[in-house]
Amino acid sequence: MSFLNSYIYYIGAFGLILVGLYIILTKHNLIKVIIGLGIMDTGVNLFLISIGYITRGTAPIFSSPEIDSERMVDPVPQALVLTAIVIGVAILALALSLAIRLYQHYETLNLRKIKEQKW
Amino acid sequence: MVNPVLLIAVPLGLAFAIPLFNLFWKATAKYFPPVALGFNLVVSLLLLPKVLENPVIVSIGGWQPPFCINLVAGPVGVLLSSIIALIGLLVSVYALDYIKEGPTEKYHMLYLLLLTGATGVVLTGDIFNLFVFFEILCISSYALVAYLRDKAGIESAVKYLIQGSVGSSLLLIGIGLLYGLFGTLNMADIAQNIKSVSPISVFVPMVLIITGLGVEAAIFPLNAWLPDAHSSAPSSISAVLSGIAIEVGLYAVVRVTFTIFGASSIFLFLALLGILTLLVGEMCAFSQNNIKRMLAYSSIGQIGLILFALAIATSYGVTGGLFQLVSHTLSKALLFLTVGYMIYQAGSSDISALEGMGRKMPLTCLAFTIGAFSLIGLPPFIGFPSKFLVVRAALATKETYFCVLIGLALLGTVIEGAYFFRVVQVLYFKGEKPNPRRKEAPLVALVPMFIFVVLIVIVGVYPKLVTDVLNSASSELLSRTEYIKAVLGSIL
Repeated sequence: MSFLNSYIYYIGAFGLILVGLYIILTKHNLIKVIIGLGIMDTGVNLFLISIGYITRGTAPIFSSPEIDSERMVDPVPQALVLTAIVIGVAILALALSLAIRLYQHYETLNLRKIKEQKW
Repeated sequence: MVNPVLLIAVPLGLAFAIPLFNLFWKATAKYFPPVALGFNLVVSLLLLPKVLENPVIVSIGGWQPPFCINLVAGPVGVLLSSIIALIGLLVSVYALDYIKEGPTEKYHMLYLLLLTGATGVVLTGDIFNLFVFFEILCISSYALVAYLRDKAGIESAVKYLIQGSVGSSLLLIGIGLLYGLFGTLNMADIAQNIKSVSPISVFVPMVLIITGLGVEAAIFPLNAWLPDAHSSAPSSISAVLSGIAIEVGLYAVVRVTFTIFGASSIFLFLALLGILTLLVGEMCAFSQNNIKRMLAYSSIGQIGLILFALAIATSYGVTGGLFQLVSHTLSKALLFLTVGYMIYQAGSSDISALEGMGRKMPLTCLAFTIGAFSLIGLPPFIGFPSKFLVVRAALATKETYFCVLIGLALLGTVIEGAYFFRVVQVLYFKGEKPNPRRKEAPLVALVPMFIFVVLIVIVGVYPKLVTDVLNSASSELLSRTEYIKAVLGSIL
């Protein structure tokens, strides 16, 4: 059990990434593919957070002496995730607006039926 | 002393000023990109002589590296940022007349953001910062591919977006693993400590990062989005995507493998991938009937050649690769710009629809021909010295496999020559009407094309103009210790 306890976040993160990748690769509906992108993004963010996380850790505020420096979590991954979340939101918004346009042109969201462009 | 931060801050600020100004003065939006990029070009050219002696390191926020986000304006960075500013400036002048339909202020804003992202990628010294600028570049190019809102544009933007964002997720996982290993995001600091961990644990992030960046750089198995996206976008955007976006992706791949990982063992693999990309691209280009798709596939081929040359990893090889990069950027941007108005006149992008264009639009077709000849590598155009340098570099290694691979690359060049000559033949020697009414592209579009032609010929005749810069750029890429010392020198 100690293995599970110490690696549970990594297992969860890579589980989410693989679930997202599976959805992107196998689903035919564009909305489902976009959901897959979202899940993959969440997995990546969870992974980044868990790199810097300590169990029962707290915010790294150096000016307040009652916080033990041993228990401070690494703030850099959290700053990274903040940025990554914003980027993920932008991509999701753009993808959904493209999905609306795609439906207006083709009257379907099934990616297998949309194949005007080929090699 | 000009500060390299201005290269990113000024276009970014002006990009976000466009919607604001557009509230009051509708017609001003299209003048913002030329102003911002002209400024960038001047700053880059002012910086260039200084960085040839010493790279300029900018620490943001008053902290010293590796604790801050830093910019590294070395010879490679400033060379590429001048190229980006030059191409961006000329294409934005072209777009003054070319972009008439749709929400034009959004076009100009996204265009500036795209070039800001590209400049940021080549100047940054922080790997997460590289990811952020990369995303700025990618997201604005997804949106610009769909700018015309037609069937083809939307379909290829969806493809591009899905593949691109899976790629950037992989990149981010790789960056996360690197941070977990080294506790730093500074590229020089990671490079310095890379030997302190076992090669196996470095291998996984390296594969993830190269795969993630390889999607944007259009390296062979990851390039399915490129022909669709480059052929469906407006021609001015195709010029920038083909001329800048994929080169920036390739730069990122090379910077990561050369400087951060110092992974000399995978260079041969990269060279093989490069030749594979080259052959696939050229053979697909040969079988196209749509001229923009043909140019897009030819970009894949050229990227393969550049990757091959850089992966030779001798000073000749890297110089040749960078030279080929510059020459492809100039020639391919010129080709897309000329094709934009030729399609506009012919009403179709089929090659057969361009019959007799040589008599209808003589100047535009002359520019197309020069661009095509330069891409094939005919003297006296810029493509000749660059391809010559690549061939010489491959032969100078005296290794059998490089000689075999360069033979295959020359086979690719023959195919390239075949399909470009076919188009030139259609332009000049096909079609019945002897004297059709002349209808040239407008002057605003002809001037940038003419400047491209002049640059291609001048650098082709006097390659010495650029060799100094290219040599010091290649020595920056090849010597990791110099790079690390330049960035971290003050605290070592």
